[in-house]
Amino acid sequence: MLAPPPFRLREWLERESVFSWLLLTPPLLFLIAFLGYPFCYGFYLTFVSRPIAQPATFVGLGNFEKLWNDPIFWKAVRNTIEFTGIATVLKLAGGLGMALVLHQNFRMKGITRAVLLLPFIVPTVLSTVAWQWIFDPGMGLFNRSLINMGLVTKAQAPSWLGNPTLAMVSVILVNTWRGLPFFGITILAGLQTIPVELHETATIDGATTWGRFRHITLPLLMPVILIVTTFSIIITFFDFQLVYVLTGGGPANATHLMATYAYSISMGGGQLGLGSAAALAMVPVLGGVLILMSSYVRRT
Amino acid sequence: MDDLSGSTRRGFLKLSAAGAAGATIGAGWRPRTASAKPEKITFIRESSYVKEFDEHFNKVLIPRYQQETGIKISYEIVAAGGTAHVRNVAIVESKAPVDAGWVQQEWLYREGLLDISDIAEAVGKEQGGYYPAITELSKWNGKWYSVPFGNIGQCMAFRRDWFEQAGFKKFPDTWDEFLDAGRKLKKAGHPYGMSMGHGFADNNSWLLPLLWSHGGQVVAKDGKTITLDSAETAKAVDYVRTLYKEACIDDCVGWLDPANNKAFLTDQISCTNNAMSILISAKRDLPEMGKVIDHGLNPKGPKGRFHSLVAVTHGIFKHTPDPEAARHFLRWLMAPKQVADWYRSAQMYHAPYLRGYDKDPEWNKEPRFKPYHELLETAKLVSWPAPADRRAGEVVSKWVVVDMFAKAATGTPTKTVIAEAVAGLKAIYG
Repeated sequence: MLAPPPFRLREWLERESVFSWLLLTPPLLFLIAFLGYPFCYGFYLTFVSRPIAQPATFVGLGNFEKLWNDPIFWKAVRNTIEFTGIATVLKLAGGLGMALVLHQNFRMKGITRAVLLLPFIVPTVLSTVAWQWIFDPGMGLFNRSLINMGLVTKAQAPSWLGNPTLAMVSVILVNTWRGLPFFGITILAGLQTIPVELHETATIDGATTWGRFRHITLPLLMPVILIVTTFSIIITFFDFQLVYVLTGGGPANATHLMATYAYSISMGGGQLGLGSAAALAMVPVLGGVLILMSSYVRRT
Repeated sequence: MDDLSGSTRRGFLKLSAAGAAGATIGAGWRPRTASAKPEKITFIRESSYVKEFDEHFNKVLIPRYQQETGIKISYEIVAAGGTAHVRNVAIVESKAPVDAGWVQQEWLYREGLLDISDIAEAVGKEQGGYYPAITELSKWNGKWYSVPFGNIGQCMAFRRDWFEQAGFKKFPDTWDEFLDAGRKLKKAGHPYGMSMGHGFADNNSWLLPLLWSHGGQVVAKDGKTITLDSAETAKAVDYVRTLYKEACIDDCVGWLDPANNKAFLTDQISCTNNAMSILISAKRDLPEMGKVIDHGLNPKGPKGRFHSLVAVTHGIFKHTPDPEAARHFLRWLMAPKQVADWYRSAQMYHAPYLRGYDKDPEWNKEPRFKPYHELLETAKLVSWPAPADRRAGEVVSKWVVVDMFAKAATGTPTKTVIAEAVAGLKAIYG
């Protein structure tokens, strides 16, 4: 019987299985600390009543029951779905158009592409404050333009953030403006992977521009479009900063989203359990969307 | 993996370990023991609209305390606008290394504050006692969890020149006169801008006094009975609907707190409910406008005149490693030698809750600031008459009452808005 070889630390570290875990451990610990732990703690909070600086009391599904009977919560749910749905469709349509334009050859193409990315790069809070000025009823860009063009008088000028319907239109507009470059640039990257030969062959065969777009460009772009749309739905659904800065969820809750409402319950109302339940309520909705999207991606 | 030599791998591991250690040291962890004198005390506060106030703290008070005790004060400033309480909630929950500060919306986290009854009582005794309304916030179940400092007063800021042109030589004394003046001013192109959005102070500061002055109340003194659904509330709601339609700029229904300052300073509105900040900004940046701005008390209703408090109180976080050091600093700060000049540095922007400053000569320097002092006699906490507990804070943070008025202003019937507000209150008070 042979004696086992003596243990050598250096050799042990050289083993792939050991070294790979050594490399994996720091990011894994990071994820556990900053994503796993907060999520699990948040999940735990949904089952307790936990006022700030006070011990938790187990309430089971009591927090969800409270939300179920809370009209503001349901208003926030409707607002979130409306906000996410309309903004995503607008970003998709606009982003596709933007990508098709940027795919053409024109002078200063590089600079134009860089400039169009700006809304996505500028910090949201900063750009939203600028939008606050643009929406100003008396001296904002929109109303000044409408008045100067003679389309409305000063008294008729719309109240962009004061009218409940226009306030929702405004937050959707800003979200679309901010998210458009993400769609545009990602779809542009997808466009550039489509072989030119396919278009050339189709042209020789007599295909029109629309026909080439419908039967070549769009089907080949579909995987990119689905992925970028999925990402956008997640980001838009969780949007907080934009509404918090622009309207605070007002007027009269017309723009309150689930994220802003969860924040106001937790940090304003001091109810960490109830606030966590409102935040966690977003997960099943998003989970459903993600499952649908990913199953579609797999099929295509 | 031949390209990664053993030494490179070991180097990588060493580097990782060093990095982790460095991150731990650099994370701002501050070990202390109660027996040793602390190197510094961290004091957190929302920044003041009057920059001289923070400057006085930094340039006069901090060096003075350091000279007297050897302890450095770290002054942590949070952006103004009612967001300091969020920071405080995080401090209490995470036991962050902050010792004391302005405990904005302390009703949310009283359990995380130190009992400082000895300091609050000594300061009150020494400087003429407190206005009674504020003690209902600072004193809870017989113990003081904060020392009342001053009120960021909220009353009517108006354009005297435009009011005079419309035939009003003095500011309207009743809500009916206020509506009458507003109609005329709006016709003249100078509407009011009365905030009704999801802000922090400028909305509640006129809507709650208006409700109270009509005889309406949100929750009774017992802190249990919801009393909002009344004929008096309905009258107040109807009044706001008319006022909004006939006297206000459309936009004000969605305004956050900075919006009315901006509208006023750009000639868009003739009147709003605000702190002193409009006049202070105008005198500094728009001197011509600064000459024609004035202030008036909230108008009277059938049940009298009311104002709401925007309370500034100072407290000590329970988790401070040196309670005695923090106590010493707060007592020192609130002593007349320090606090009197600190009040004056901001032209009484924080109207002292201490009666000893009622006749302070600083009030005579700018007579237009006097309403901010006078309103203390008729001011109540936003929870009034209910106790200032966490639930009252939730009512404010969810804008239950503000939204009742805002919905009415944008066309929802009175009965519906009151019923929805009552449903919101039931969700909070059970």
